[in-house]
Amino acid sequence: MSAATTAAGGDGPVPPPRSPVPDTAAGPTIDGTGPASPAGVDGVDWPAGVPVAEPVEPIVADVEPGRVRWDPAERRARASQSFWTAAVGVPAIFSVLRLGVEAGGELQTTLLLVANVGPVNLLAGFLTTAARLLSTGLVAVFALGAVLAVSADRLPPGTRRRPLFARWADITPAWVVLASFLLALITWPLLYLPLLLPAFVAAFQLRSARLHERVVPRLLIIVALLAGYGWLMLPTLREAVQQGGEELVLALIVVPPLLALFIAGPLPGVVIRPLASVTEVAVLATLIWAAVPVISTPVLPLTVTTVGEENGPTEDVRGHVVTTDDVNMVILQEQGGVRYVPVGLVRAQVLCPSEEELPRHQLRIHDFHVEDSLLEGMGRRVRPVHRIDATCRTPG
Amino acid sequence: MNSGSSQSRLRSVASTLAVALTLTLAAAAGCDSRQEPELSSVQEKMRETHIYGQSKLRIGVATNEPLMGELRNGQHVGFDVEIAKYIAASLGYEGDQRLEFVPVATEERIPALQGGTVDLVVSSFSITEERKKVVSFAGPYFVTTQEVMVPTRLRGKISTIEDLRNPDYKICTSGGSTSEAELGGHQVKVLVVKTVGDCVAGIRAGRYDAVSSDETILAGFLARHPKEFEIVDMPFGTSELLGIGVPIGDPALRDLVAFFLQKSYQQGRDEQASPWQTSYNRTLGPWLKAEKRQPQPLEVPKLVDFDDKAPAK
Repeated sequence: MSAATTAAGGDGPVPPPRSPVPDTAAGPTIDGTGPASPAGVDGVDWPAGVPVAEPVEPIVADVEPGRVRWDPAERRARASQSFWTAAVGVPAIFSVLRLGVEAGGELQTTLLLVANVGPVNLLAGFLTTAARLLSTGLVAVFALGAVLAVSADRLPPGTRRRPLFARWADITPAWVVLASFLLALITWPLLYLPLLLPAFVAAFQLRSARLHERVVPRLLIIVALLAGYGWLMLPTLREAVQQGGEELVLALIVVPPLLALFIAGPLPGVVIRPLASVTEVAVLATLIWAAVPVISTPVLPLTVTTVGEENGPTEDVRGHVVTTDDVNMVILQEQGGVRYVPVGLVRAQVLCPSEEELPRHQLRIHDFHVEDSLLEGMGRRVRPVHRIDATCRTPG
Repeated sequence: MNSGSSQSRLRSVASTLAVALTLTLAAAAGCDSRQEPELSSVQEKMRETHIYGQSKLRIGVATNEPLMGELRNGQHVGFDVEIAKYIAASLGYEGDQRLEFVPVATEERIPALQGGTVDLVVSSFSITEERKKVVSFAGPYFVTTQEVMVPTRLRGKISTIEDLRNPDYKICTSGGSTSEAELGGHQVKVLVVKTVGDCVAGIRAGRYDAVSSDETILAGFLARHPKEFEIVDMPFGTSELLGIGVPIGDPALRDLVAFFLQKSYQQGRDEQASPWQTSYNRTLGPWLKAEKRQPQPLEVPKLVDFDDKAPAK
């Protein structure tokens, strides 16, 4: 916890440490000096120990006098309540929805799955596949929120309501933000991890000025950091250049660390509103777009079961084993439909990978495949040899 | 003040650009993660082959070439058979239920592939330009040379091509073989019979004095009669590349076979026990004079497979 506070830049024990803006926001907008006031920029540095809600309150009251004035403590309580509701409810609903998709939309099959897949398994299965999506959403919201929050004082007069993401970022405790970044760090494919760098810098408003107060040492530190990154990535970059046609990979590796130097904001007043609206829609759309594969990812592992009498002809049944009892093995076939196979007829069974797991790039970062997450990469080191049983290659 | 203002404006423009670029990159990354792999996968190739969905794979093998392809007590054994089993297993056909060995004689290999009675031929099939016009080859999986085998009674007497030209010795070889052409090129008069087995039988009966053929075939007969024969190392210039025959109309299957040969080749190169090396050690290895390694297969396509992400070391 204390680490989280430090990482949040906490120059003090201010309860919402990541909202440096309101004090400066109040000044220019009230006295009408306009959004581009340099005073506001200079004041952005980092919060003095001013309570957050105090100066903001009059603004809200000013714009929407009919609204109930909010109390920060109450608001935080409400936010925490909705956070936990969402944290528990969304995976639960998604998991049940997934069962329906997994069952091929058949009611009876869905019921069979519901009867046999335990809630813990379901939730664990969901988290395995959705952790990446979840962390992406959170990281995007917190990074954008922090940048928008620090720029909010430059909003044109009249539009004083702070952007949604900025408000979310304000009320989120630093440890939640840090946890989202950690989750992203271990679940994102290595190739996309460089993007986490500008996002992290933005979310925690780490300006280069914080590295060192003097310019020359500051530059030296930056150069050293970039050189270290370059050393880490150079073999991969060379390989990508050799392979050709990997421009996106090159951009994804080279550009983000440079962007991280400038991303902390603040943004000019004119772009805040459009950026806020566009990113809100974009994040929502992305989440929906990315949720589709999560919903359709199978809950149960894919297997091929060889079925047949002793010494007789055999048949391969490709599908997901729902349950096995003394009499039958219940297999949800890949092509749809449920098959009850008498246990005595089961000759062999193998676990198969699904085609979504095929890599798109042939690149590695120090022998870690770029499409593996850190977790997966470490897993492959624990169990390095992975043989695909050839039975998986034949159609079921 | 003025410079501070312009600096801050510059800074905010840079921030805007940085945010926009990061978002663009993130969007590009998101799209990229949903794309299909550019290279085709083993699975896709499988679907293109004519064997996809077939319950059994039929592979043509020889039954009369000891060490390479032989029928012993109703079981197909030999180096070719082992290679065929490896390829079949890699394609998803493992065990007697799924894999059928079809005996093919030397001259039946091409018609069997053309007529569709077999899906693959693994039977000391040398890759030649002439044959490439009618069948496809994956490989080579073995490099062999022409050798001469003499009975022990002539040990030391026949040791050069010059000795073969000696009209006192009757040299035998099989018809239509590379040896026949090779010996003809060296002005060696040969007696041509149907199979190498006939030559060997002829030598044992005293009708011929030496037999020339592929070193693998000769090694097979040497293994059968180890006390009666000896292989003489002759400086014939040509080497033969043995390949796996695939119907010419099925390039996907050819690519897959080449891909799996390459997989074995790479395993062997990484000092692991490759399927090829195991097959070789179990069959030909003890009978050939020189140590052999799996040759690098040619024209291997790049395919994506599930184990691509496994650590290289």
